[in-house]
Amino acid sequence: MEIIKKNITLILGISIPILMILFVASRIYLPGLFIKPHFNFLYVSGDDSYYYYNNGYQYSVQNDKLVKNEIKQLENQNYNPPRVESKLYIYDVAKNEAKEISFAEAQNLNLDSSVKSPDDFEVVYGSRGDGFFPFLFWSERDYNSRYLSGHNVSKKLNLQLNGSSYYNNFRFIGWIK
Amino acid sequence: MATKEEVLQYIKSLAEQKVISKDELDSAYDSGSGIKTDVVLTKKLGVAKILYYIGGAIVFLGISILLWQNWHTLGFGTKVLATLGSGIAAYFVGLLFSRNKGTETVGSAFYLISALVTPMGLWVVFDNAGFDASSYGTQSLISGIMLGTYLLSLLVFRKNIFTLFSILFGTWLFFSFTSFMIGGGAYFDNWKFYEYRVLVTGITYMLLGYAFSKNERASLSGFLYGFGILGFLGAALTLGSWKPNQNVFWELIYPGLVFGALFLSVQIKSKAFLTFGTLFLMAYILKITSEYFSSGLGWPLVLVIAGLAMIGVGYMSISLKKKYLSA
Repeated sequence: MEIIKKNITLILGISIPILMILFVASRIYLPGLFIKPHFNFLYVSGDDSYYYYNNGYQYSVQNDKLVKNEIKQLENQNYNPPRVESKLYIYDVAKNEAKEISFAEAQNLNLDSSVKSPDDFEVVYGSRGDGFFPFLFWSERDYNSRYLSGHNVSKKLNLQLNGSSYYNNFRFIGWIK
Repeated sequence: MATKEEVLQYIKSLAEQKVISKDELDSAYDSGSGIKTDVVLTKKLGVAKILYYIGGAIVFLGISILLWQNWHTLGFGTKVLATLGSGIAAYFVGLLFSRNKGTETVGSAFYLISALVTPMGLWVVFDNAGFDASSYGTQSLISGIMLGTYLLSLLVFRKNIFTLFSILFGTWLFFSFTSFMIGGGAYFDNWKFYEYRVLVTGITYMLLGYAFSKNERASLSGFLYGFGILGFLGAALTLGSWKPNQNVFWELIYPGLVFGALFLSVQIKSKAFLTFGTLFLMAYILKITSEYFSSGLGWPLVLVIAGLAMIGVGYMSISLKKKYLSA
């Protein structure tokens, strides 16, 4: 007791960063134990027809259903992107995995194309703190990873992608109602 | 046995006759009170001693450049030998030099080489083992190993330089481990999170500085107070942010924090608290006037008021320094 009293400022000084680590850990891990996302979502990969691939169509949601829209592209002699068939995937938020489905199957789904799901989750880019403390530190978007985020819960998605992991190669289509 | 008053009177008369110097008195007091004076950082750094440390830093630079220029031609064994090997060797050379009082400062220069080169060696090992060496996970491992090593060294050899290295590697571990926990998840605003961590580090440094001010580690207090108050007031000012995204809590509480620092500068006799308190009070006056009053009163009038306020702050600071902090 006497030692604690004598070294109280030293103990306080060492405790504060440890308490902050515990606070951050509880803020990250605790909400995830109680709050779970409930809505699966549909996404497409290989659909970036303008910049990267040329497949002549793009998916969208009309009246809660998936439709395929044809895109007429201008002839460009200098740039001929490869023709890649885009693929549709359902993301199962409970299992944290993606499964490919056909366009015909996807047409039967009831979709909500809102950014946020009915239970207030959204798909966001990750963030990245780069640099080497204490010499440099900054932060920016991590375009190579996506997270399901909401209610102070952030869950990294194990996305399946068709072809390159280039960040435009993922497009959210809608929440499955 | 003479009384305290008699001893002081005797010292006074010896000082008048110039028989005894202040340094001799200090060393007699230190040896009697048990304060260890054999720790290197308690001594004023002379030019020669500064050169030792600059030499240490240049050795580190040499090894870094060797590695950088020949990364693809050197084998793993050579890289480890050049970095981790030199780091460990420098540590033991430092130990050997530290045993002799005359070569103790040279020993500290070798400790510095070791502290700079060993993390690089660990980085090479982790990189070769297939870890993403620049990731926060690996940085946490490297800083954790270094912190463990220096805490153990501190426990065994009880040298101030190991306290300093423990604090520095502990800070690195704190930042890298918290970043590692967050990962890429969007839990916090990244900048705010950095600011809060700098704020916490600042508080920790100040508390450690105060804890050390009354024991044999008193020489570290100045460094800890300086960086502590700089981090604390700097982070609190940036947490206030800027209109229209300002944080009213931090903007309102800030004058209290600055005046608290100025008040504490007298209590703990810290020039760093006074200097940074004054500078941050000036920065706060400029920030608040330009943020809120530049459109209403007009920019020139605001500058006049801010200028006068700064002259007042400067005058207060000099008066405090003369009255309470001058030796």
